[in-house]
Amino acid sequence: MQRRIDLLNEPYMVTAFDQHKEQYLQVADGTPQPAVLTIGKDNHSIIQLGDYKADIQMVVKGEKAYIRAFGRTFTLGIVNPVEQAAQDAGSGADTALAPMPGMVVKVHVAVGEKVLKGQPVITIESMKILTVITAPRNGEVSQVHFEQGKTFDRNAPLITLKEKEKE
Amino acid sequence: MKNITKVLIPNRGEIACRILRTLNRMDIPGVIVYHPVDADSPAIEMALEKVEVNGTTPVSAYLDVEQIIRACKQTGADAVHPGVGFLAENAGFARRLEQEGIVFIGPLPETIEMMGDKVAARTFCLENNFPLAPSVAESGTNKDFIASAKKIGVPLLIKAAAGGGGKGMHIVQEPGDLEQAVLLAKDEAQRFFGNDLVYAERFLEKSRHIEVQVLADHYGNVIHLGERECSIQRRFQKIIEESPAPALDPKLRRRICAAAVEITRKAGYRNAGTIEFILAPDGEFYFLEMNTRLQVEHPVTEMVTGLDLVELQICIARGETLPLIQEQVQTKGHAIELRLYAEDPENDFLPSTGQLLVYQMPSGDAVRVENGFAKGMTVSTAFDPMLAKLIVHGNDRTKAIELGIKALEDTLVLGVTTNADYLSRILCFPAFAESRIHTGFIPMHAQALKPPQLSIEERNMLLAAAALSSREFIDPAFKVPEPYAFFGDWRN
Repeated sequence: MQRRIDLLNEPYMVTAFDQHKEQYLQVADGTPQPAVLTIGKDNHSIIQLGDYKADIQMVVKGEKAYIRAFGRTFTLGIVNPVEQAAQDAGSGADTALAPMPGMVVKVHVAVGEKVLKGQPVITIESMKILTVITAPRNGEVSQVHFEQGKTFDRNAPLITLKEKEKE
Repeated sequence: MKNITKVLIPNRGEIACRILRTLNRMDIPGVIVYHPVDADSPAIEMALEKVEVNGTTPVSAYLDVEQIIRACKQTGADAVHPGVGFLAENAGFARRLEQEGIVFIGPLPETIEMMGDKVAARTFCLENNFPLAPSVAESGTNKDFIASAKKIGVPLLIKAAAGGGGKGMHIVQEPGDLEQAVLLAKDEAQRFFGNDLVYAERFLEKSRHIEVQVLADHYGNVIHLGERECSIQRRFQKIIEESPAPALDPKLRRRICAAAVEITRKAGYRNAGTIEFILAPDGEFYFLEMNTRLQVEHPVTEMVTGLDLVELQICIARGETLPLIQEQVQTKGHAIELRLYAEDPENDFLPSTGQLLVYQMPSGDAVRVENGFAKGMTVSTAFDPMLAKLIVHGNDRTKAIELGIKALEDTLVLGVTTNADYLSRILCFPAFAESRIHTGFIPMHAQALKPPQLSIEERNMLLAAAALSSREFIDPAFKVPEPYAFFGDWRN
């Protein structure tokens, strides 16, 4: 059993298997090690991986694990293989993704329009802050995903530029 | 004397709870006005009565003057405490209440008009010779304004006349960026404050934000309750406030508090208010703006003075004389407020959303918690992202910092990214402990305030914990009875 887990925007593979009736995990490029998660009270847990052990505070909902440990709080994504395949297929074109949920205030460009690097393409509003998103490179707009006044979620595609032609 | 027998609060979150706590203690029934998205919030529980309001957006419901007046009539509330934000500095609202014979717990509408509008307040200070940093207000064409702003010289700060909470503010370092910044600021000002008037002010680098809490009754009595320092800001918005201000020596403190009292008196102000100043590195201070309402950070003043500002506001609104004179105001120890925000300091402090899966606030005598949320509630982008405030009070600043670190350690919010760990890093940072702070502290120390690097072992433990917590992941691998294990992942 193998699953991709995202931490701080980096994907890692974690493989689980049985060895001598014990839970073993191979994490990223490490060697397989016995792993035990002991769940305690008030969201406190103890994670043991090989010779290492840490007190953590954790809650899991859906495909996300929220962990406070080592002076920080992390959100780990336990990626579903189907979703992962969809994500892999979607790459290739340059798409501006919404940094957070919000609303489109103004679309500055139209489909088919040529844009220059740094040119404003869309203005969005989130939490009373206006953000002007500019083109990352010269190119042509292939898709405008939301019209003015529409709302969107975090990571929603906003504007897509046509794939860079081979020169 | 006016009778106040029932108070309506057209507000939400921690500030609504804060006001209700005092009302409950004073045995004055409180009415909360709420939008359905806030139906599960603690303020609803604390109020004696509740009235639902609606609007095209949740924010617009809390800004709907006529719905709020109807709610007053329906419940028989004879006074309104506006809290902070929303209608707290809206002269039109104060005037409508006056027409309806409902007491507005705040200053007169005319005073809000004069002091709440930042351009009008600056004109007032200029005319009365109060210290003011070089600035220019918009008048005539955009071109004229930009030309006069350029004359002041960069760096400049562009602000909305009707603004607040750091919204619609832009720093301009290069004269060439001025026009773009002005257009963006005007656009934001129009959208958020319904008034696109902006002004440009000389931006003083490495200055401190010092503000003075004032109280004034209807009979010309004005006192101050000392100052607060609020220099730790991101996006022009305060995140850590303290009292007393570590930068002030007794002489400077006397001067700055006296200036605040004079401004308040000259403005004919009544009720609780705050005069904000910038303190330049050379010790000169300049009027910034006046907040004609309770401030988010008022608890630090309450902790060091032992006074209840909401109670004092109600007494003043009833027409009572101030219950104390300046000499009776005593301060004790040092208080620090930490604002807990649903935001991601590792991603430019952008607001974060989600469900509060775990929501544990610190408890005990050493910390005062002003909280407006509960476990299970969803944090959306509909409102300001502040969740709660933690206020600590120690014998001195060092002790207060220590208590703050402990309070943050005891705070656990999971499901929504917060700035709790970031606040803790600031408290532990030597420059903060040594009071070497100014309004550019956060950008200046951005690198040093980044989270500690994860070691490979720590990283792997996190990944292992996430993997082992996922039953979906682990079950087929570990929990499958032998005969079925053969089918592996194909099992249904």
